[in-house]
Amino acid sequence: MAYVQVEQAVKSFLREDGTTMLVLDGVSFDTKEHGITCLLGPSGCGKSTLLNVIAKLERLDRGRVEVVSNHGELGEKPPRLGYVFQDPRLLPWKRVEDNLTFALKGMKVPQIEWRERIHKYLGFVGLHEFRKQYPLYLSGGMRQRVGLARALVIEPEVLLMDEPYSKLDQLTARKLREDSLAICARLKQTALLVTHDVEEAAYMGDRIVIFSARPAHIVEVLDNPFPPLERDFDDVRFIQLKKRLLQTVLNLIKEKEEV
Amino acid sequence: MAQQEKVVLSVQGATEAAAGESAALPARTGRGRVSEALRDIGLRVGSIVTLVFLWWLVSLFFPPTLIPKPWDTFAEVATIISTGNFFVEMGNTLRRVLVGFGIAMVVSVPLGILMGTLRNLESFFEPPVILGLTMPGLIWAVLMIMFFGLTETSAYAAVAVTIFPMLTISIWQGTKAIDKDLIDMSEVFHASPWSKIVDVILPQLVSHILAAIRYGLGLAWKVVVVVEMFGFSNGVGYQVVRGFNIFSMKTVLAWAITFLVVMIVIEFGIIGWLERSVTRWRPRVEAWRR
Repeated sequence: MAYVQVEQAVKSFLREDGTTMLVLDGVSFDTKEHGITCLLGPSGCGKSTLLNVIAKLERLDRGRVEVVSNHGELGEKPPRLGYVFQDPRLLPWKRVEDNLTFALKGMKVPQIEWRERIHKYLGFVGLHEFRKQYPLYLSGGMRQRVGLARALVIEPEVLLMDEPYSKLDQLTARKLREDSLAICARLKQTALLVTHDVEEAAYMGDRIVIFSARPAHIVEVLDNPFPPLERDFDDVRFIQLKKRLLQTVLNLIKEKEEV
Repeated sequence: MAQQEKVVLSVQGATEAAAGESAALPARTGRGRVSEALRDIGLRVGSIVTLVFLWWLVSLFFPPTLIPKPWDTFAEVATIISTGNFFVEMGNTLRRVLVGFGIAMVVSVPLGILMGTLRNLESFFEPPVILGLTMPGLIWAVLMIMFFGLTETSAYAAVAVTIFPMLTISIWQGTKAIDKDLIDMSEVFHASPWSKIVDVILPQLVSHILAAIRYGLGLAWKVVVVVEMFGFSNGVGYQVVRGFNIFSMKTVLAWAITFLVVMIVIEFGIIGWLERSVTRWRPRVEAWRR
């Protein structure tokens, strides 16, 4: 498997009025291998930008982002990255299974594997019965599940998730978090999850990387003492972890406002 | 809404129950649909019957040379069709429309997409396209006949040039409205340029292209009849002029009616069918209509 190494990442954007806005100010961290790394920070701090840099949708001004693979077999080939978007970004004119095929085709997965893979990963997210349905006939939570299956079906070295639960209602989001966590644990998937939700970070993250407000630098990196499937919302120690994260993030926001 | 939420919950809980419920989600019940369709057809037929009735009322006050009775005109329609005349003339007109239309499409679709994508091309082509839109079809018809003479080419060219700006504008605007998020998504999954066009871009343009076809055909009919009137010896336009020369209101109306019927068949039959089959993925939302 693989992990992501971020070194001294610097990125700024050009505003409409010609001034530049510094977004990432020397961000460095390593992600976990075989686990979920949460990027936690206040809204608009540049977490999503970093995710887009990893996915090669944006380029850094300075610094380095690398997907490191232990296999070494990657060689010159670009790493396979699965991306789960905030809005699922499905192709509404394609049936659920054809949305998965679109990703398989793009990543040049041999055609003989398609059927089996679609079966497997739609099964993981519990939507196999809906493979012939068009996305607009599905609920928001189900669409987000299709988005997850599309990212997983290419069997990515790294799974990137950009606030995938933030637009869902509380119950749907909670169930989907539980399922995603179980799936990632079962696949030993290396994943990055961007979130501004402290509870989500404590529940999902094997490693939690706390970003400051913009321009972002890393405030703290901490590893979750609880294994993925033993995180209990009512456990006193879990509540303490949550409190600590919350305090850190709240302080960041306060500092920002004082400046 | 309640039904939809039920489906969501059942999926989150246990997936096996879900297949049956999803089938119930998009469609309405069979019987309600049939009676609704019948009422719809009834209203449309009623509207045509009302029109014919009004025609008959008006015809009572005028001599038949000015406003012929509806049934006399329909008898003339029957004669035109039964002598086989209709199919030859309509075939000629249809061919001119379709060839001209095809030429315009082949140019406008790529040009519209390029104008929507590349800012330089947009600035360069915007003035001629907007100017072309304001040019009356009649003037194009005259220009093309003067240039190409009374040949088929002038008919094709007049149709193509007249509808080209409208088609281009429609596709250009459609391209500008394309969802960038989906393009980013296709990049993340390394979609090939071909796949980007066929799977991501063209489906977003389909409704714009269909609207363009509708307006384009409407314009094309008008121009082709004018071109035929100028001195072609066949086609619906020629037949209308012939009716005018012998001052037979009946003939002119009969040709106009057959022409209308063919247009309606194309509009509702062929284009309507095309639209339904390419937008099957979109749920019909009619909750706000009465």
